[in-house]
Amino acid sequence: MIGIWLGGLLRRRPARLGAAAIGIAIAVALLASLGSFLAHSKATMTDRAVRGVAVDWQVQVQPGTDPAAVDRLVQATAGVQASAAVGFAQTTGLSATTGGSTQATGPGVVLGLPSSYQQLFPTEIRVLTGAGTGVLLAQQTAANLHAAPGDVVNIGRAGQAPVRVTVVGVVDLPQADSLFQKVGAPVGAQRTAPPDNVLLLPQAQWHTTFDALARSRPDLISTQIHVLRSHQLPQDPSAAYTAVTAAAHNLEARSSGGAVVGDNLGAALGAARQDAAYAQVLFLFLGLPGAILAGLLTAIIASAGATRRRAEQALLRARGAAASQLIRLAAVEALIIGVVGAVVGLAVAALVGRLAFGTARFGTSTASASAWAGIAAAIGLAIAGAAVLVPARRDLRQSTVASGRATVGVLRYPSWARYGLDAILLIVAGLVFSATSRNGYQLVLAPEGVPTISVSYWAFAGPALLWIGAGLLAWRLSDLLLGRGRRVIAWVLRPLTKRMSGSVASGMSRQRRPLVRAIVLLALAISFAASTAIFNSTYRQQAEADAQLTNGADVTVTPAPGTTVQPTAAQQLSGVSGVKAVEPIQHRFAYIGTDLQDLYGVRPTSITNATALQNAYFHGGTAAGLMHTLATKPDSILVSAETVKDYQLGVGDLLKLRLIDAVTHQPRMVAFHYVGVVSEFPTAPKDSFFVANAGYVAQQTGSDAVGAFLVDTGGQHSAAVAQRIQHLLGSAATVSSIGTVRKSVGSSLTAVDLAGLTRVELSFALVLAAAAGGLVFALGLSERRRTFAIARALGAKPRHLRGMIFGEAGVLTVGGLVSGAVIGWVLSQMLVKVLTGVFDPPPSVIAVPWLYLGAVLGITVVALAGVSAAATRAARGPAISVLREL
Amino acid sequence: MSRSPARSTLEDTSLAVADGRALIACHNVARTFGSGPNAVVAVHGVTCQVLPDTRVALTGPSGSGKSTLLHLMAGLEQPTSGVMSWPALGGHPLGEPGRIGVIFQGPSLLPALDVAENVALPLLLGDTPEGEAAERAQAALDLLAIGDLARSLPEQLSGGQAQRVAVARALAARPSLILADEPTGQLDHQAASLVVDVLLQASAELGAALVVSTHDRLVAERLPNQWTMRDGAMTSGSDRA
Ligand SMILES: Nc1ncnc2c1ncn2[C@@H]1O[C@H](COP(=O)(O)OP(=O)(O)OP(=O)(O)O)[C@@H](O)[C@H]1O
Ligand SMILES: [Mg+2]
Repeated sequence: MIGIWLGGLLRRRPARLGAAAIGIAIAVALLASLGSFLAHSKATMTDRAVRGVAVDWQVQVQPGTDPAAVDRLVQATAGVQASAAVGFAQTTGLSATTGGSTQATGPGVVLGLPSSYQQLFPTEIRVLTGAGTGVLLAQQTAANLHAAPGDVVNIGRAGQAPVRVTVVGVVDLPQADSLFQKVGAPVGAQRTAPPDNVLLLPQAQWHTTFDALARSRPDLISTQIHVLRSHQLPQDPSAAYTAVTAAAHNLEARSSGGAVVGDNLGAALGAARQDAAYAQVLFLFLGLPGAILAGLLTAIIASAGATRRRAEQALLRARGAAASQLIRLAAVEALIIGVVGAVVGLAVAALVGRLAFGTARFGTSTASASAWAGIAAAIGLAIAGAAVLVPARRDLRQSTVASGRATVGVLRYPSWARYGLDAILLIVAGLVFSATSRNGYQLVLAPEGVPTISVSYWAFAGPALLWIGAGLLAWRLSDLLLGRGRRVIAWVLRPLTKRMSGSVASGMSRQRRPLVRAIVLLALAISFAASTAIFNSTYRQQAEADAQLTNGADVTVTPAPGTTVQPTAAQQLSGVSGVKAVEPIQHRFAYIGTDLQDLYGVRPTSITNATALQNAYFHGGTAAGLMHTLATKPDSILVSAETVKDYQLGVGDLLKLRLIDAVTHQPRMVAFHYVGVVSEFPTAPKDSFFVANAGYVAQQTGSDAVGAFLVDTGGQHSAAVAQRIQHLLGSAATVSSIGTVRKSVGSSLTAVDLAGLTRVELSFALVLAAAAGGLVFALGLSERRRTFAIARALGAKPRHLRGMIFGEAGVLTVGGLVSGAVIGWVLSQMLVKVLTGVFDPPPSVIAVPWLYLGAVLGITVVALAGVSAAATRAARGPAISVLREL
Repeated sequence: MSRSPARSTLEDTSLAVADGRALIACHNVARTFGSGPNAVVAVHGVTCQVLPDTRVALTGPSGSGKSTLLHLMAGLEQPTSGVMSWPALGGHPLGEPGRIGVIFQGPSLLPALDVAENVALPLLLGDTPEGEAAERAQAALDLLAIGDLARSLPEQLSGGQAQRVAVARALAARPSLILADEPTGQLDHQAASLVVDVLLQASAELGAALVVSTHDRLVAERLPNQWTMRDGAMTSGSDRA
């Protein structure tokens, strides 16, 4: 019996089976593609985190412990590839006599490095001039001493005579912050500034210089074992983090307190796992609705045959078929749809993977590949089962042989509508949203040093409920309009259907449920596409803002360290072709209590000539308002929220900072008044900093030295302008353009670029919108071939058929697009708010991708118009054969 | 009344085609379904004409081609060979709603329209104003004693009721030719007789020709002429004229 049934099914309903399989295929392809995105981006994050670390571990040998013993322990630790002992000695100061004058510095640090160091840790030391091995001076120190390769430097030793060494090279220490970190400092401690003066000695020379001092003043000398670990790590940053930190803890435990691990690799992976968690959240937010939509699409397609299926079931039952037999038939149908859909879906996903990531695998490892393929296929089968079996069972339970014949009947309100589920969902969505907003939209919590990461999936409920609730509301409203409002429909359709408008409207009204379902599905698809696209483009806008913030402006010119440049140098830059505006910005360091923070001195009236200030960067006023305050009250200062909290500041409070006086080189107190909070500022770091009036800072410190020039190019040819400026200034300055920064800044999430996800998402959203509109509409029309055939036999002309079909398409298009646009807009607002944590900096305005939205609109309209035109043509065919068929 | 309506000779046919009064002229018409070994010749070698005063019953065993011939006459099927023409109707009738009232053998009501809307449909397709279409639809329903079903939906009707609605629909447009395919197939004698009364009365009032295919002898005998079909060919007709 199953065989006969199947044969009949395949012969008579290939379109419906095929369409349902397409629905499944979309769901499977979407899930598998997104899974592959997730796995891919996680692996990228791990990779990037690992590559950004210069020294994986800095193992601090504790006082009284033998460095050699610790080194042996380190060597014996799993995953360690190489190690190097680095000596740290405090010097009382360095001095040099060059060109007839003697310069001296304050205290500093002298490092002792083994000869293999640079080979093991190539990114820690960058040679600027001279040789790479031997006595090396840090760039800042060389500037302070006016020293160059070949000059002699005296190293001051506490209680001992200075030692003379000859400098052979000048180096940059790009990772000075982590190199000079206080290993074992408690979590969350204030960062310590790296030493101002650094000299690097070969290991043997360091020992002869400081071994004696180590005995008299052991507090001034210490040793770190720098470790290079194997980078064969789990691909998931979270797992990699766990593995690395566990190894570090294990080493510390085995050393019995003799060693403390400065786990740079672990810290980097810790940051990456937070990004990975965000990627996972994005996967949920953006992927799940797509899969749900595809599932709904399948269900609607499967149910497109419900009327006939019910009639067939009734017939079969009347002929004595048992309920279990009917269920088995439905199960076979579901299985066929599911298997075909899953196979096609996986093939599509492989193709998408190939296009988006250059690999056809659904993850980066074979295991995660088969896992994702399996999960996606299983969900596809489940959707097929739910879409075909559930309604079949319900029909069996509810319908008698007689009622199986009913097709139009009295339309009952579904029970969710009677109980007002749509309103309830919308209210709950609002409540959840306001709860998460009170929470500051903290979606991902990854406390430092804690292996578990917590993701607040709860916040997901807000947009999800909104989407579902709005979909149900759209159902209710469309049903109302098509039911009660049939006169309105008739009036609207009048120009298209002329005298037939009344009949067309009442026909549409009596058979409105499939149309209403199509409208809702289209609305959900459109809103999904719109909100995803808006989220994505807002994300891109903010990434751009991030690049702007990091670089400061289109082009930024930073004078070489140690040189002092006056603001008047801006004129020289203004002359370069392509430069629209130049703005000097001061960069100083200021002590607040014992904390050291960056301080930026700006010209408040003209800063925005060269860079953009978003209102979102500030609290307690708009960007323009706060700049106005800085201008009118020059001793005003903008402070980070953290500092405001730590020092309990209120607006107008006096704030005394210590800044270095240009004349005495000593810190001096400068009084400011706190006027507002700044969280982001061009060129400023991500943590705490100050923004003040440049004129006031210059007057108080006796120097108007510029930290950087912000150059506006009008967004055009930044790279070329940067090149011209670099050519003009030579080695006197570093010139960076926004283009190069765009590639290197941001969290690894920006780096993964969302591009893959965006492309996958947006193309699926397009396909879904077109399918939701076109496919469902086409099936609905094909269900009514008979109606059109009768009309044709009764003398309907092509214009009548066109009117009927295009009228319905119009109602579907307008209904779906309008509700989709409204839902999409509200949803985007909520999504961007809920996902605030993903944005850096948070957006003050939402970016709307009109081009993409136009494409969605266009494709939907074209799909529906195409289906309508094809249906009109088909309806003009021979009527009698259609009448005989059914 | 009717004159030599069907004869299988070429001379007569050319004479018939020349008759400008003919509503329908079939000249050596054949209709085959399918091709190759599975081909079914539903109608072949039929030559006949329907004049304004034709009132004829089309009889014959099941599968003899009655429905197919009626569809050919209505212009709903294309002959595979031979010539169909509609001289007095000014050309092909398809797309000329209301010129020919067709009553189909099977169910043919639009499920989404109620009875009154179904009956008014051909009128609206022929650009009759809505008000007038509704009135005429109601009048046609009243004529068939089913006026109280006007607001029912097709699925709520019995087979016989649906058949009478189809009759009403064919008559409401005041056609000049009525083609009824088994209009009484699902009716009891009383109802069947009412339908035949109505059809004859309407054809008299409208001056419309009437072709009724039927298995029912009682129905067939109420019509002045009978054409008989067998295996796709018209075996008798003119001799009973
Ligand atoms: N569309 C079609 N495709 C294939 N065969 C057809 C088609 N229409 C009719 N036939 C065949 O043509 C022959 C004549 O059919 P038709 O419906 O004209 O007979 P009928 O005389 O009306 O029979 P009944 O009295 O049962 O209604 C039958 O054998 C039928 O199977
Ligand atoms: Mg028949």
